[in-house]
Amino acid sequence: MTKTSIKGADISNKKGITEAILAFLEELLSLEDFDAVLIPMRVPSEDSYAWVLVNDENLLREADPVAPVMPVQGANALSSCSRKGEGNIRIAALMRPCEVRAAIELSKLNQVKLDTVTLITYDCPGALPLSDYIKDPVNGEKTFDSVLAGPGRDVESVKQVCRICDDFSMLPASDLHFAFYSESSGNILLIPGSKKGSALLKKMDIEPSVDISSWKENIEELKKEQIKRRKERFKKVKGMVEGFESLSETFADCIGCHNCQSVCPVCYCRQCYFDSETSRLDAESVLLRTESRGAVSLPADRVMFHVGRMSHMSLSCVSCGLCTDACPVSIPVADLFSYVADRTQDTFNYRSGKDKEEPVPLKTYREEEEKGINELVKGAEG
Amino acid sequence: MDQILSIDKGAEEGVVRLLKFLLENDKVSGVFTLRRTTGKGFFDYALITDPGLLEDAIPLHPFMNVNGGKIISSLPPMKKPVAAVIRPCELRSFIELVKRSQGSIDDFLLISYTCGGSFPFDKTLKDNGRKLLPGYWKAVEKGVDPDNIRQSCASCEHFVPQNADITVSLLGEKDLSSKCLIYLHSERSTAMTEEFDAEISDGQLDMKRFEALLEKRSEQKEKDFKEIKIEDSGLDGMIDLFGRCIGCHGCMRVCPICQCVLCDFESCAYDPDTSVIANELPVRGGVRVPTDTVLFHIGRLSHMSFSCVGCGQCTEVCPADIPVSTLFRKTGEQVAGIFDYIPGRDVDEEIPVTIFKEDELSELGND
Repeated sequence: MTKTSIKGADISNKKGITEAILAFLEELLSLEDFDAVLIPMRVPSEDSYAWVLVNDENLLREADPVAPVMPVQGANALSSCSRKGEGNIRIAALMRPCEVRAAIELSKLNQVKLDTVTLITYDCPGALPLSDYIKDPVNGEKTFDSVLAGPGRDVESVKQVCRICDDFSMLPASDLHFAFYSESSGNILLIPGSKKGSALLKKMDIEPSVDISSWKENIEELKKEQIKRRKERFKKVKGMVEGFESLSETFADCIGCHNCQSVCPVCYCRQCYFDSETSRLDAESVLLRTESRGAVSLPADRVMFHVGRMSHMSLSCVSCGLCTDACPVSIPVADLFSYVADRTQDTFNYRSGKDKEEPVPLKTYREEEEKGINELVKGAEG
Repeated sequence: MDQILSIDKGAEEGVVRLLKFLLENDKVSGVFTLRRTTGKGFFDYALITDPGLLEDAIPLHPFMNVNGGKIISSLPPMKKPVAAVIRPCELRSFIELVKRSQGSIDDFLLISYTCGGSFPFDKTLKDNGRKLLPGYWKAVEKGVDPDNIRQSCASCEHFVPQNADITVSLLGEKDLSSKCLIYLHSERSTAMTEEFDAEISDGQLDMKRFEALLEKRSEQKEKDFKEIKIEDSGLDGMIDLFGRCIGCHGCMRVCPICQCVLCDFESCAYDPDTSVIANELPVRGGVRVPTDTVLFHIGRLSHMSFSCVGCGQCTEVCPADIPVSTLFRKTGEQVAGIFDYIPGRDVDEEIPVTIFKEDELSELGND
């Protein structure tokens, strides 16, 4: 967000954000350039939301662009309709910033093809914890309405990771961005973030002519507060993950269901390493452990699974929080992983989901690594 | 006639004593049971080989964070059998797994108990479970349903273990805090406990005392099954029931019967193909993605429902609060019923879909 010459298009709609977004997408769909819009919709049973690839304008009218919950990570939904086969569906994907970031990471890992995808983000107010919403969807809708209305960011009702999210607005990867966290003016701006986005607006005869600096300032202010909150929360989380004893206690309730891995956008392995033959507890291991400790906890290696998952994916973690939503024993997995992810990413001066061209650090070899690594190594040497 | 061991200690203490005896006297290579960990109210299942560590054991606690039958089937055989203390549903799961070559009865001394049910996950996290225990045991002594047990337990008719070597009598026993009654069913169990210090008598579990509870459980089961009227609502009903399914497959992962290393529905065979989606789009106007949410459940139903023992782990693990266990058990019972099959009843009773009979189900075939 350094190009101050960028302008936005005023697409304010008296009927509000949902209407503004849907009106734009309806027009977009009528162009020859897109096969479908990827957008959340309320499920028939009206107790949750699901991603739908929509190509019918009437159906699109029933969509909910800014859904109260994130039951499925948008990047996973996008991957399922772009990874395999010759379909080549031209998609306009409307997703939360963390979902777009995850999609960028997945594209680096060959799990999402982005050439025929236009990525559209919006100022995300956060999402409600899935279990809260499901327990009482009617109340969930009301709560989210007030979350969306603001003013400022909600820190009571949204997921814990959303309360400390420092990347809730326009991304470098956004082709287009809906900006509505502005001053009291209540304007809704549509900002192009790339050549693709600019070209699309041109084609649709939408001219970005409005100055976005006051919106930008507002976002920066909000970001500062979020970063502060993130630091505060991580002070506590640090104590929960540093040291084997803390880790063991933090994950003591874990039942080894692997839901966290299942819903994680970055964890795309068909068979998780920790479900594979290599990780299985064989006869010799059982005997060794019982001999040395007198007992083996079962299922075995639950803490190992989490540490292993951290080492496998924390460089690409986008703090979306689906892991916490999916955990059946209420372990704050997202907080723990976000803390570790921030630190590992900082070490490599890497930011997940920022730059499509920036390879994931562990996939690169440099004879002389960044300073951070050397310090890490020195530190480990004590 | 069973041999009955009577110990003048609380039921749980009596069982721990027996386990200690078996381990100390080399009758078994290890003990598989629930135990407390970290001293902060956490617990897990463990395979214990040091008798000293048995003081942390809580073999009879109404906690089931994982299905014990599933766990023991993953254990390698040891020099001698392992004494495994598991719930009746976990035992039935294990029997179903043995039929699928996922374990062997000979590797275990199977100890179970007349079961009052187990708590849902949210009642056992941190140390919440401990507060509920006194009330739980009082209800078990009376032979009635304790408060707070899982829905799948409140409708379970199989609370008296089958195929156990040893059964601890809990339901309806007047004073669980001062007496432990252990029924030895198998020759192996009598042989292994020969020198164990306890009063010995002969007898059989009085099944009459369970009639009232059985009736209540059956009623509850019918009630639960009625609430899921899939037979009337068909596919639309399935779409409603699984509308909020997020496709995490947690239900499959915790299910004792689902033991496939790679689930069919996670294999290449079921990978979403963009060409298929592209073809469906203009026809339907919209396609929910990722696809095949309901297919996974129908598939899993067809693969394992007749072996479903209703342990309820699937419902517990579901992040979307879907009553998976009720649907699976209902479907399973009906399908198994066609073949007069009851999962977990008899280890020699073959799984219906693995048998071919020339003259069968003629009413479904064509003329």
